[in-house]
Amino acid sequence: MSSISKSEKAYIQSSLLSDPPLRADGRGLTDFRTIALESGVAPLANGSARVSIGRNAYDGGGGTEVVAAAKLEVETVGDGEGVDGGRVVCSVSCSPTAYPLLPSNALDDLQHDMTSLLHATLSHPTIRPQNLCILPGKKSWLLNLDVIIFSDAGNVFDAIFMAARAALWDTKVPRTRSVQYRTQKSDRKDATRAMDVDEATHVGSALDTRETVQVSDFELPDYWDEGEPLDGRQIWPVCLTLNLLPTSHFLDATLQEEASVPLKLLVLYSFQSDTTPLLRSMRLLGTGGSDLVQIKSLLKDSEKYARIVWTALEGKLKDEYHSLRKPSF
Amino acid sequence: MLSFISFSRPTDSTYRQSTRHHPDVEDLMDVDDDDLTGSEPRLTCPGETITSSQAFMRGHGTYVDKEDVIASVAGTVERVNKLVTVRAIRTRYNPEVGDLVVGRITEVQPRRWKVDANSRQDAVLMLSSVNLPGGVQRRKLESDELQMRNFFEEGDLLVAEVQAFFSDGAMSLHTRSLKYGKLRNGQLVTVPPILVRRLKSHFISLPCGVDLILGLNGYIWVSKHMKDTDQGEEGFDAEAVYSNKNEDIDNATRAAISRVGNIIRVLADHFVPLTDSLLLEAYEWVIEQEGDAKYLLLGDAGDALVAAMSVRG
Repeated sequence: MSSISKSEKAYIQSSLLSDPPLRADGRGLTDFRTIALESGVAPLANGSARVSIGRNAYDGGGGTEVVAAAKLEVETVGDGEGVDGGRVVCSVSCSPTAYPLLPSNALDDLQHDMTSLLHATLSHPTIRPQNLCILPGKKSWLLNLDVIIFSDAGNVFDAIFMAARAALWDTKVPRTRSVQYRTQKSDRKDATRAMDVDEATHVGSALDTRETVQVSDFELPDYWDEGEPLDGRQIWPVCLTLNLLPTSHFLDATLQEEASVPLKLLVLYSFQSDTTPLLRSMRLLGTGGSDLVQIKSLLKDSEKYARIVWTALEGKLKDEYHSLRKPSF
Repeated sequence: MLSFISFSRPTDSTYRQSTRHHPDVEDLMDVDDDDLTGSEPRLTCPGETITSSQAFMRGHGTYVDKEDVIASVAGTVERVNKLVTVRAIRTRYNPEVGDLVVGRITEVQPRRWKVDANSRQDAVLMLSSVNLPGGVQRRKLESDELQMRNFFEEGDLLVAEVQAFFSDGAMSLHTRSLKYGKLRNGQLVTVPPILVRRLKSHFISLPCGVDLILGLNGYIWVSKHMKDTDQGEEGFDAEAVYSNKNEDIDNATRAAISRVGNIIRVLADHFVPLTDSLLLEAYEWVIEQEGDAKYLLLGDAGDALVAAMSVRG
């Protein structure tokens, strides 16, 4: 993204390949910068989170900053794009201040690339939460997940998926109760007691002998909390970006480091307790190339790193969850 | 391998315990004219009333609301006759003629390069303001215009001096000295421009074999120590000056460069102005602690460094 000079590029590459490898800020190859995470940042969203990688702890400057927010919306199945069981729609937008040197059409392209990866991964039917369904065949929740990149100091994909995962973890689905209309067949004259005039005239036929109970609408019961969490929230994937050099790889690159590697490998894993993780998506970015043997060993390594990321993130999210639950009086 | 933290700020007890007042608390606010004539620099917060608009004119960094001139930025109040301005603390670099800056080429244009120097506008480096191969006094040829990318191309870092200003306020740079020119063998560290003070020399050599170039625009070049080549005009070697190739750098030097880079980042995070003696002392302190290059990034080591420096300073 950022342009760096040939000699800087050569310096970074040769430092990374030297023995022992050394990075510009002295980190090890698999060390991350400090990651700050906070959930529940947007009060009007059903779930939200803010993630910052490598932020300066004193004035909050620097670092890759990403905010994700999830908003639920009721959809009628079969009407427009609504599908039975609900759906997830993701979008990524980049603040122009995050990429001040990019022209606006290049920024659009970048947003589109990020959106397509996030959407394709998170809207996959196999990880769709069960409780997005309100009334089977009739109403469902549409989950809009919007991610905004406020600044980019490298490793933006990991930050996007961390924020997305934290926002989805934080999301509360409002409780619903299905209701149905009952018409008084015996007492036809008492029209005022019918809940809906249309409904009353509709079932007027004497030939109607159907006994099926048709749930036709739902209501939101008044309850003390905002709802229940999304089902299967452990399964949301984590992203890991491996920056590839001919003979080695490293994690959590800064912008300068990103500009000096020819190839990046994005891998997305979802974990369920102790079973083998599922590979959700994989993408190679950059001008370089790679062979199958290298990819195989990289996948093995990345699984190990991704599990560490997942465990740490899971721990942090549980902490956040409990700290929010604590009564604040 | 990685750790998560919360966004909460580190608690600073002295800051929290001191009494703070809303700007409307009138009795503490001295809006006398005398206040602006004093030699003590006065700091403002955004939204703070500086003086009355009846007696003074508003300048940069201020606005008028009803009868008052109010600061719109955090900074120091400056006054020229009846004009009141606030010089912001966090701002882009304000160039002055003779300043040493480190910049990055953003664009190659006919007979000139555009240079990003952390200022409001891109700086300009004219082809006539660089040393060309084959002697300083050589006439420019058309062939030089055609091969400008052989001297500097997009992304290249250079050290230069502010020569003059154009009518629109953009600065013009020159590299007509053997000290100036393309940078290699190191890495760039960026800090807020206000933290780089004007020093006797902005070329600093640390005893650990690391050279520093403190650009007044907040770009700092940390590189391997270069041996002083013979300073004669004959010694100008275009090959070396415009080369993109790094020299061989051993691991100890690389580690030292990383360590110095981290020291600068830590000091900048704590908003400590950088001077040559401070950097030297900070480096000695880090060596005493026997930490490796990433030592400063861990836990409280950065705070300890700043505390140690403030005791000495």
